[in-house]
Amino acid sequence: MNAVQTFGLTKSFNGLVAVNGVDLEIRQGELFSLLGPNGAGKTTTIRMLCCLLKPTKGTASILGHDVVKQPFRVKRLIGVSPQDTILSERLNCWENLALIGKVHGLSSGKVGRRSKELLETMGLMERAKDLVRNFSGGMKRRLSIAMALISDPQVLFLDEPTLGLDPQARRAIWEHIAELKGKKTILLTTHYMEEADFLSERIGIIDEGRVVALGTSQELKTNLLEMRSMVVSAEHLTGEVMAALQGKYSMLELAKEGVRISDKDLDFKEIVDYLHSRGVIVHSAALEQPTLEDVFIQITGKRLRE
Amino acid sequence: MRFWEIGKRNLKEIYRNPVLLGFLLGMPVAFMVVFCAAAGGGHSGPIAMSIVDEDSSQTSSAFIQYLGSTEAIEVNQPIYTETSQAQEDLDEGRISFYLLIPSGFEQAKQTQQTVNLELAYKEADPMLGLQLKPMIEAVGSEFLGVAPPLNVELKGTESEIKNLAVNFYFPGIAVFGLMILISTAAEIIAGDRERGFLSRMFTTPARPWDFILGYSLPFIPVLIISTLIYLGVGMALGLTVVGNLGHAFLVFFLIGLCAIGIGMIVGSLVKSESQAGVSWLFIVPIAMISGAWFTVELMPSAIRSVAEALPFIHAIDASRAVINGSSFSAITLDIYWLLGWAVVLFAAGIGLFRRTMVS
Repeated sequence: MNAVQTFGLTKSFNGLVAVNGVDLEIRQGELFSLLGPNGAGKTTTIRMLCCLLKPTKGTASILGHDVVKQPFRVKRLIGVSPQDTILSERLNCWENLALIGKVHGLSSGKVGRRSKELLETMGLMERAKDLVRNFSGGMKRRLSIAMALISDPQVLFLDEPTLGLDPQARRAIWEHIAELKGKKTILLTTHYMEEADFLSERIGIIDEGRVVALGTSQELKTNLLEMRSMVVSAEHLTGEVMAALQGKYSMLELAKEGVRISDKDLDFKEIVDYLHSRGVIVHSAALEQPTLEDVFIQITGKRLRE
Repeated sequence: MRFWEIGKRNLKEIYRNPVLLGFLLGMPVAFMVVFCAAAGGGHSGPIAMSIVDEDSSQTSSAFIQYLGSTEAIEVNQPIYTETSQAQEDLDEGRISFYLLIPSGFEQAKQTQQTVNLELAYKEADPMLGLQLKPMIEAVGSEFLGVAPPLNVELKGTESEIKNLAVNFYFPGIAVFGLMILISTAAEIIAGDRERGFLSRMFTTPARPWDFILGYSLPFIPVLIISTLIYLGVGMALGLTVVGNLGHAFLVFFLIGLCAIGIGMIVGSLVKSESQAGVSWLFIVPIAMISGAWFTVELMPSAIRSVAEALPFIHAIDASRAVINGSSFSAITLDIYWLLGWAVVLFAAGIGLFRRTMVS
């Protein structure tokens, strides 16, 4: 049984389609990312899966339980860290964790043990008794994830878990999420391609409410990218050599490090050998690693942060 | 016991918020001090009058009809024939005063002897007695064709009440004061809804009634403390509770519950920035027609009917009756009315929450 399964999941608001026929199959224990720009429909999808929004069309189930017909069964199985870090500001860490834990039906003893574990894992133990209204954004986010985990949910939803955080805090959260890999089914939404790339086993690229590509990061890059690029830094690159390269390969452009050559069938060795044969002194030549951003541009014709 | 956990969280959010706490507990004190200091009042408009007709003659019937035909007076039906029955209703707080037409009224008129009328009222409502006297004198003199002053004897029912004005105004002020719970309860729910905290809680297995109970519970101690402050400060300023203090407390507690219920509904419907406006849109007119500031006997009957359908007037009437010495049996109907409203409001709140949980 899949942890998350949707068929043609659709949500429209006053005729405006926010999520359009999304089909997802997320296996148990998998870390799946929905990658897409703001307004792509990521949060709306998560809200439907968490029983907060009724789908206009289509179905969704969590571990076999329908989100519309059995919302309270679904709610027992899930943990959610919403996009806006929403905590009880006048409560401390222990109290915030106890609230969610006990509402999920955990005993005081279990809540205490799990809170201690989570506060230690998330590096919040030292400030555990402070009211969270005095916390930094990163600390609040870590507590929010801990709150989503307190009930030991089988499926964890993390909506933009690092939104608005500085790189250091982001990295810390990534590490915490990475530790959960394989232990929980995680559906993460993000518009940071590095985040999806670093954390996910599979990625669904979502744009204008549709999942436009689906696969592992590697699959997306190799299957969908039509062009590969290399950057060469060299001396004696004459106009004649440049013209020859331009004639042979799809794209030639000046980059900061030298010249970028792009083509569908780029042969690294062939290019370096050719340059040597024409007396060009090659200082460095490197294949450029494709990014998910490239994949996104390739598919949608726009940048992720547009 | 999910509601208990939500309630605990909300209680902490309240008592760790000094501004809100100061408002909730400071308001009753400020209210009592200002209103009791300013206690005073006036009447205008038709007065609903109960009459005891001991004479039961054609003349007395004609006089009653004449009284009713004047703009200033509305005659309550039925007309009492026994003073003891009217006095019992007065004591129990079912009526505010009565006019006694003594036996021998017809004869006195025919023989041009001095006509004695008696106006009996609770000393707790002295303004009413003093204002009615000249009115009855004027109407009576006109009917009897004698020159005023007519002999209208004022008969206040003995009471232990020390400060009549405080006793008269206290119930209205306390009930009005408790109505601020509408606004505060609404504020907390609307705020949590807008910040997304409720959305987060909606992803947990908590049910609609867990939320309604969880959001109402923290207001129970606030309600108890506020009521104690009202009664305490009131008594320090001269309030005399002649009846059972526990009964008075029960009435205030029930109307407080109704206020919290209304707050839950307002909070789940409107945005937090507009909730204050919407709450006060309820509070002020309701207080006005419910006798918080002036007696409802003077209001047009249509408005009185609206007021009587709502719970507030019942709380004010019942608490005033208890404070001035009525027994529990005299306020049983009011208590049922208040209980009924509390149940309806909470049921409506739960229904609304069910709708809010999935959009």
